[in-house]
Parts: sequence; structure tokens; C-alpha cells
Amino acid sequence: MSQPRLSALLSTALAGLLLASALIAAAGLGDTPRQMHFDARLTPPNLDFWFGTDALGRDVAARTLAGLTLSFWVGSLAALFGTLIALGMALTAMLGPRWDALVSLVIDTLLSVPHLLLLLMIAFALGGGTHAVIIAVALSHWPSLARVLRAELLHLRQAPYVQISQALGKSRGFIVRHHWIPQVLPHCLVGALLLFPHAVLHEAALSFLGVGLSAEQPAIGVLLGESMRHVSGGDWWLGVFPGAGLLLMVLCIQRLGETLRRAWAAR
Amino acid sequence: MPTALRTKPRLRSVSILAGLSVLCLLSASPATAKETLTLAIGGEPEQGFDPLIGWGQYGHPLFQSTLLTQGEDFSPRAALATDWSLSDDRRTWQLTLRDDVRFADGTPLTAEDVAYTFNAAAEAGGRADLSALKHAEAVNEHRVSLTLHAPRITFIDQLYSLGIVPAANRDNGYDEGYGRKPLGSGPYRLVEWQEGEQLIVERNPYFTGPTPPFERLVFLFTGEDTTLRAAQAGEVDIASVPPALDDAYPETMQRLVMQSIDNRGILFPTVPDRGESASNGAPIGNDVTADPAIRYAINRALDRDTLVEVALNGHGRAAFGPADGLPWSRPNETLDAPDLERAAAILDDAGWQRSNDGLREKDGQPARFRLSYPSGDITRQWLAEASAEMLRPLGIDMQPTRRPWRELRREAMHKDAVLFGWGSRSPQEVYTLFHSRHAGDGYFNSGFYANDTVDNHLDAAQAAASVEQANRHWRNAQWDGDTGYGARGDAAWAWLVNLDHVYAADACLDVGELGIAPHGHGWPITANLLDWRWTCP
Repeated sequence: MSQPRLSALLSTALAGLLLASALIAAAGLGDTPRQMHFDARLTPPNLDFWFGTDALGRDVAARTLAGLTLSFWVGSLAALFGTLIALGMALTAMLGPRWDALVSLVIDTLLSVPHLLLLLMIAFALGGGTHAVIIAVALSHWPSLARVLRAELLHLRQAPYVQISQALGKSRGFIVRHHWIPQVLPHCLVGALLLFPHAVLHEAALSFLGVGLSAEQPAIGVLLGESMRHVSGGDWWLGVFPGAGLLLMVLCIQRLGETLRRAWAAR
Repeated sequence: MPTALRTKPRLRSVSILAGLSVLCLLSASPATAKETLTLAIGGEPEQGFDPLIGWGQYGHPLFQSTLLTQGEDFSPRAALATDWSLSDDRRTWQLTLRDDVRFADGTPLTAEDVAYTFNAAAEAGGRADLSALKHAEAVNEHRVSLTLHAPRITFIDQLYSLGIVPAANRDNGYDEGYGRKPLGSGPYRLVEWQEGEQLIVERNPYFTGPTPPFERLVFLFTGEDTTLRAAQAGEVDIASVPPALDDAYPETMQRLVMQSIDNRGILFPTVPDRGESASNGAPIGNDVTADPAIRYAINRALDRDTLVEVALNGHGRAAFGPADGLPWSRPNETLDAPDLERAAAILDDAGWQRSNDGLREKDGQPARFRLSYPSGDITRQWLAEASAEMLRPLGIDMQPTRRPWRELRREAMHKDAVLFGWGSRSPQEVYTLFHSRHAGDGYFNSGFYANDTVDNHLDAAQAAASVEQANRHWRNAQWDGDTGYGARGDAAWAWLVNLDHVYAADACLDVGELGIAPHGHGWPITANLLDWRWTCP
């Protein structure tokens, strides 16, 4: 095995391991992220509280893990819905030149609006909360993937082996099953995986700005928002650990997505 | 050329030296009296400085003067009015005005202006509660009479707080834009107001009271962090300090702690959910909090001293009523240390039994309800979250829920427990919070609390012949030995804490005797502004 392949494999395994262990650890937390230790408020990291405690004496480590899990699920759902929308739009574009023009117009329009602005508008209009974040991220993140899928489908329609298959009298179902799905599915999966880090980061951004997850949930954006109040007081651990956790998770997922993309490209 | 080269650096050093010596001389010369005081205490009124819609209800109205002022012992003192009396039927106030009072443009202030101000404020329906006023009338140039619909002991509070504006029919009279260019007879007049940034005022040369100590006041309306930076750089003379940032303020600044009745508490809907809704469509009632046992248990289980430590960084006191320590509140209406066992026994007796997951239930109804609090208020958020945590061992699931004010009004105000804050130097607030007449009247009595005996006490207080007599009735409304709105009676609220208002001020600033502050951290400290002094040379 070559050196770059080995390191890619190792880093991917490490990323997967980190992610899995975070999710498993968070599952065993129970009530811990909510529990308050009134006599140990704002304590710096120590042996009892590895990441320190917040202003209400809650364990920052437990809250960070819970926040990452929350971000993971919100990001997963948003990425899933985003991918479904992208696929739906790409298929719509196949219905005919007019539909194609319409879909392209929608894609171009959405891409011309800054991401965060669109997110903010949608989340705000929906009144904030978990559902608003998922819908806002899904609605604003599909265009790039839809464009890739549309191109892929257009290419498939013209591909010689598909045309031969048609000429041989194969049914539409056969062509979809044997030619379209095997080609498009990897794109969808990789697209969803690469969309995921964006979804997670934007979820955190929305929660940080106060239109995302509600303040009672230990979402990473909420934790970062809370930490801003304590920056002036020098309580660095409130922001550093959740921020680093978020960064690590995003990097891990990006690593996984990238590896998957390369593996498919190699095939 | 060589000489020129030699002389230039010499010239430069001479001029630098000269400059330095001038600077030294300047700093060595005795400083002139402080002329400009810079304050960063917030309190910028959104609607401007218009008394008719609420300006001046808390703190000093600055631009306007009031008919009377209130001493620290809550007794009335002369201001614009030199003489005042209430008729025997307690429906008519007669006031005699000073004859030398002028507005900041030099024109005289007369009884016409006073009558106009009261009539217009009653009509405007702002924060000033003038619902009792029938009409105000100028008897002559310096005498005014105020007639009430019915006896109302708390009407005198408006004589302390309503700033007098020039009548609309004058050349310089009140108009729609008044809030942004206020004209009054107060100690200061407006120089410039950059909304959201700063307000600059200077002495009113026509002010008839004692000369204000500072020629110019600059109010900075900056955020918490900007204010802190400005204080660290020595650019503000007095700043309001949020509890969480107390340690970050410079040691060299003195801490001024103003005790307050600026309280926070949990309002409970006291009626069950019957599917009804208020006029704005907000649903009414909560089946869990309508049970008095739940309210008693919560009142006994909450550890208020810990809440003060946690949410206020120790800057406050436990609260047991809406006006702790004031003459219209019972002095000993406190609860002993939190008692979870007693609270659990109350719930057991009332039939709230623990289910398998630890949550209590009664007739299939779980002891679960939301505690709504307005978004953007970290103190209320911490109070809500810490209170909920304290009730969990009891088997009550109180769910803190952040909501924007608009949503809170539209959906939650009458059906959720709500973390509200009140605190007034007038007992009128007790009346509006607990009288059934005010049930569902905006933020007043939004829990639809109703008790005929309490209503009778409150009405008797308003109709009382003297303040002392009224105070007795106010106290009976809280607990008369049998019933009341307080924790021993119907426990309509679980009052949590009274905030201390903390300020960091320059060591040279002497603010005199600070009174008890009402709701609102910031502007109330200006109540005795005219007593402030700069003690350094």
C-alpha cells in the first residue's frame, strides 16, 4: 500500500472512530448535560470536569458532547433533505427543456443570494427552533448538488451505452435500475456527506445568532453564544472546547466524505 | 548647510521640551471643577422623552419637573407645587404652583400647562396610570385642580412622576415630535440625541431649583462590552455593571450598590385550561399550575439564596413578594429555608403521585408545564434554568422556554408560567397585579388570579383616607390571617429574587444617598441626580 493511501486510510479510520466514540459517549450521558453543580460554577478545566463548568455549574464536557450529537442529527437530517431536494430538482430538469430552464433559473437565483442571509431569512420566517434550522439548511444547501446531479443525468441521457440499451428495447425501468441509479447514487451519497459539514456549521451559526435551536438545548451554537458573555471575564474554556469539538467533528466528516468521493472516483 | 543641519535637531528638541513643559504645567495646575459627567447606564427611551407616553416614570425626568417629589421616607415634598391638598371626599386635588417657574426657552409655566399635561396623559394611555382622573382644570394662573372618578390613594404617585409639558395651544407647545425635542422646566435641556449612541444635555439656565452640579451630562448608550472597555479606558464616570461582568471592571472604580425592588418571579396561571382565550387570541389556563398545591410546593422547594448566588452573582436578595421591604408589603412574609420534604408532602397530600420515571401525576395529568421567559435576558434564563433544576427532585418538570416578547404575549402569557419582573415605588402595582379587574389586562394579572377577599382589601386600600390606612389594607391583601395573594395564601406567584443594581463609578463621584430602585437597571439611579457631587479638586 502506498504511503498516501495508507495515511488516507488511517486518517479516515481515526475520523470514523472519533465520531463514533463521541456519539456513543453522548448516548450514555443521560441527564448530565443538564445537571447543575451550584457550588462549582465557572470552574476551569480540572480532573472532575475536564472541560470546566459554565455559569450554572453544568459540565462543559457533557454539554459539548450533547451539543455535538444534537448538531450531528440536525446536520444529518438537513443534509438528507437537502440531497433529496437536489435529486428531485435534477430529475425535474429531465422532464423537458422548459423544466430544465426553470430548474436552472431557480438554482442560479438561489446561488446568487449569500448563504447565511438566505438561512437567516428562512429560519427567522419559520420562527426559529430545530425544525426551522433543518428546513432552512435543507432549502439553502441543495443548489450546488442539484447542479452536479443535473449535469450527470444529462450526460447519462446522451451516453452511448444508455442509447444502445434503449435501441436494444430495454424498458425504462431497466435503464433506470441498471444505468441511472448506479451512476447517480454515489454522487448523492458523497454530495450528502460533503453537505453535512456545511449543515453543521450553519446550524451552529444560526443558533449562535439566536434564530436556531432554543437556548435550553445544549447546541454548539448556543454554547458558543453563551461563552461570548464570559470572554471579557477570561473564562476561555466555555468557548474553546465546544468550538474545537465542532471543528473536529466537521473535519472528521469532511475526511470521510472526501475518502468516499475518491474511492468512487477511482472506481 | 552644516550649521543648518546642526540647528534643526536642536530646534526640534527645544520645541519638544517646550511642549512637554507646557503639558507638565497644565497637569500640575489645579484642575477646574468637573463640568462634564459621562454616564453609561442604559435606559434610552425608544419613544423619546415624552412624559405623556411614559418618560420619567422611573428615575429623573431630567428635562421636565414634576408637581411633587418623593422623599426617601415616601413622604411628598414640594417641587412645582408649593401647596397641595386633597378634598374630604378624596376626589379632588388642589395644588398651588410656584409663580417663578419657566420652561427652558424662558416662557413661564402656568396652571394651563399642568392641566393640559394631566388631561393629555390620561388620554394618551401611556405608562402613567391616569385612569382615575376625570379631568384636570386650571383654576387660575397658578392654581390647578385634579378631579378623580373615585377615591384613589395611589393617584399621588403621578404627582411625583408625571413631567409637565407646555400646553399644545402655546407657540412652543406640545406636539407629536415632542419626544425628540423635549421642552420642560427641569434641570437640564437637550443639546443632542444621537439615537442608539448618546444623549448630551446641558444645564437649563431657567431652572428654579438648586443649580445642577454638572454643566453637561453625556449619556452613552453602549452595549455591555463597549461600556466595559470604555470604563477600563477611564472614559466613563459611572457605568451600570451586569452581575456577570462585575469582576472585569477596574478595581480603581468604586462599586455603588443600589438595593432594589426590581424583582423577578414566576407568575402562575391560576385557572385551569377551559379552552378559552383572551381578546388577542392568547389561550388561557393551565391545569397543573391551577392547583394551589403545585404553587405551594414550588414556593417551598425553591432555594432563593442559591438563585441569588447563581443568577445574580450574589448581587441581590431573596424575594417573597412584589414589594419586599416597602410599607405596603408585610414585613415578615418570608418562607423558611427551602424544604423539599414539606413540598413533597404537600404534593402527596394533594394526590400528585410519583410515576415510574420520577415525574408526579394526578388523574393522568403529569406535573409538567412550561416556564416561558423573554429571549435576550440572560438573568431570566439563568433563573428559569436553575429553578427548573431545583424542582426536578420534587417530581415537577418545569420546562424553561425562551420566547420573543411578541410570541410570549400571543401564546404563552396566560397559559404558561412566566418569568416576569416588576418593582414599583407605588402600591398601584400591587393593585394591577392581583385585582381580578385587571385579569388578562396585558401584562397585569396575566395569570387570571381572582379572590374576592383580596379584591375587597385592594379596593379598600385605594379608597383609604390616609396612606397609613391604605398600607394596612395593602398588607392584608397579601395575607390577612385567612387568605391573600402571598405565599401563605393563594401563592399566585413564586417570587424569586430582588436584584441589586450595581454601578461602577469614578472614585471622585459622590452620589449621595441612593434610594430603593424600582424595576430597570440604569436610569433609576438618576433619581437623586441633583445631589451628586464631584469630590476631587
